[in-house]
Amino acid sequence: MPSHLTIIIAGGGRVGYQAAVTLDDRGHDLTVIERDPDRCDAIADEYVATVIRGDASNPDILGQAGVESADVIAGLTGEPGLNLAVCMEAAELAPGIRTVARIDSTERAGYRRFVDETVFPEDAGARVAVNEIEGSDVRSLADVTGDLDIVEIRVEEGAPAANKELRETRFPAGTLVISDDDGDRVARPDTTLTPGKRYVIAVESDVADEVMNLLRG
Amino acid sequence: MSSHGERAPESDLGLLDATMIGMGAMIGAGIFVLTGLAAEIAGPAAILVFVLNGVVTAFTGLSYAELASSIPKSGGGYAFVREVFDDLSSFLMGWMLWFAYMIAGGLYALGFAPNFLELLHVYDVAPAPDAVGAVSLPVVDAGIPAAVLLASLAVFLLVGLNALSTAASGSVETVFTLIKVGILVVFVAFGATSPMFSSAEFQPLFPGEAGPLSVLPAMGLTFIAFEGYDLITTVTEEVKNPRENIPKAIFASLAVTVVVYLAVVGVAVGTLGADGLAAAGEAGIAQAATEFMPTGLPVIRNGGAIIVFGAVFSTLTALNAVVIASSRVAFSMGREEQLLPSFGQLHHRYGTPFVAILASGVVMLGSVVLPTQSAGNMSSLFFLLSFIVVNASVIKLRRERPDMNRPYELPYYPVPPILGILLNLLLTGVLVRYLLRTDTLALLLSVGWIALGAVAYAVHNRLRASEATDGDGRTTPGDD
Repeated sequence: MPSHLTIIIAGGGRVGYQAAVTLDDRGHDLTVIERDPDRCDAIADEYVATVIRGDASNPDILGQAGVESADVIAGLTGEPGLNLAVCMEAAELAPGIRTVARIDSTERAGYRRFVDETVFPEDAGARVAVNEIEGSDVRSLADVTGDLDIVEIRVEEGAPAANKELRETRFPAGTLVISDDDGDRVARPDTTLTPGKRYVIAVESDVADEVMNLLRG
Repeated sequence: MSSHGERAPESDLGLLDATMIGMGAMIGAGIFVLTGLAAEIAGPAAILVFVLNGVVTAFTGLSYAELASSIPKSGGGYAFVREVFDDLSSFLMGWMLWFAYMIAGGLYALGFAPNFLELLHVYDVAPAPDAVGAVSLPVVDAGIPAAVLLASLAVFLLVGLNALSTAASGSVETVFTLIKVGILVVFVAFGATSPMFSSAEFQPLFPGEAGPLSVLPAMGLTFIAFEGYDLITTVTEEVKNPRENIPKAIFASLAVTVVVYLAVVGVAVGTLGADGLAAAGEAGIAQAATEFMPTGLPVIRNGGAIIVFGAVFSTLTALNAVVIASSRVAFSMGREEQLLPSFGQLHHRYGTPFVAILASGVVMLGSVVLPTQSAGNMSSLFFLLSFIVVNASVIKLRRERPDMNRPYELPYYPVPPILGILLNLLLTGVLVRYLLRTDTLALLLSVGWIALGAVAYAVHNRLRASEATDGDGRTTPGDD
């Protein structure tokens, strides 16, 4: 995989536009397909992508966007059906293109037959919201797959596990402490859970509140 | 920071800065170095030559404006053509543009040398330029002309600077350009009011039997003076609100440039006469200035020294600009996998496109042994050819991508790009014919460069294809 990708984004709304800005920062080549003329102008002003105005499900518009030579196509409009159609059309026109579709639920498995990856932006948005709402003591870093969360947690003074070594703390099954305090090293059995320090922990969602209790009290 | 470690350019250049970058490239070295050579071919009509070139190039300017506003890439003509044309065409475009800039570098270095000698002469450090003989080297036991030595030194210096640190920002360019324009204004003011000018003789406008047609080869030779657009569009991503400011900067810089050329060449021809100008060659403007500028001033002693300094300063800044421009083309080609990947990488320590700069420097050094006129001819030839491709890109893009968002649309499509193509073709034809008669060396070298490109393209593609079969299979030629 070259570091420099040619990417088509269908939909220049909030999700598509933000994705375009970030991808442009990383040095990729972008084409955005957008129906709304005002959005087109707004994207053109930011100067991050070539903009094609039109309906992304129209094969002629996909052709103008250069689908034959693109590495990836992402359907990021607010309509899951349209995103799916765009991805499948693109795969038909350019076999080998990687397809990413924005969907509207966490039920990803069903889509796997049709697209390479799915995106449920509300999920990521909610994660960020939760981080901000809870403050900086617990931060969800990423959800890897299904039910696993990677979180960074600051150990609270007086919490059950505070000042204990890992080997003497009984975390529930489905938990893995990954980093040493403040992320300098990988955690070891003799790692002490010092109050005020942060630890990166992988945790399955059904035991998350138990872990929270041990570390935050 | 991107995944390539490429610096994310900040958009902090305003309309003025962008205009100045274009003007900086168009005003300066070209006017100091080429005026004498144009007068040699076209006589007093040298004035017309520059104006007509401005007109011809305005059509290409429109095309650049449309492409730059709709394709959000820094990288100039090569980046646009890459977006529109297939592998081979875009490779040739980059290859030609790269060469045009490198040879322009040789030209500016060659223009720097006699002007620098003139500057030393004004201060009595050295004898008059034509009296400076070859510098004998103790080791090689052979004489190297002082001009070639100086030109090489200038190339060494600027290539070294650019290889070891990132380029100065556009704001510095603005200051440089203002200094250059200021010096030219002084030149025009003194020249136009000098007694020599009041008796100016522009007749016959077209000397020799060629008549008005003698303007055409001179236009071909001096076309290089107008390559400024490409430079503006190489920094588009750094310009604020590019879809408005880039077209404006292109037209503003062109308009101001034509006016400045008109004034400067008019004064130079008016005071020194076309013959005197032609005889002075690369140092034409500087020599004209020493004729009519006041002498006996404190510190600078001789008013002409200002202009001579302007010429030295302009050629050096122009040389710096084309070192950057040529390496950027090679850098983009490397990133697009059209040259070896090492061309498209930044040096881990200096943060500069090290390989691209060094490679460009090598060709520039090679080109300083050429006669100045050959360098001008070759560079102009390749700019003409690449501008043809740029105009064609506009047409191709309009046909193939009618629904593309074009914040700036050139007026009266398709007339301007077609006129651009035809006029550039005409000048190319005239230039080639002229070269056949007078400068077969330049023509042979040009053909040689294209042939070398074809070989490089074939070899590079073969290598990539064999890599692709045992690699990820993605990089087969033609699939990107």
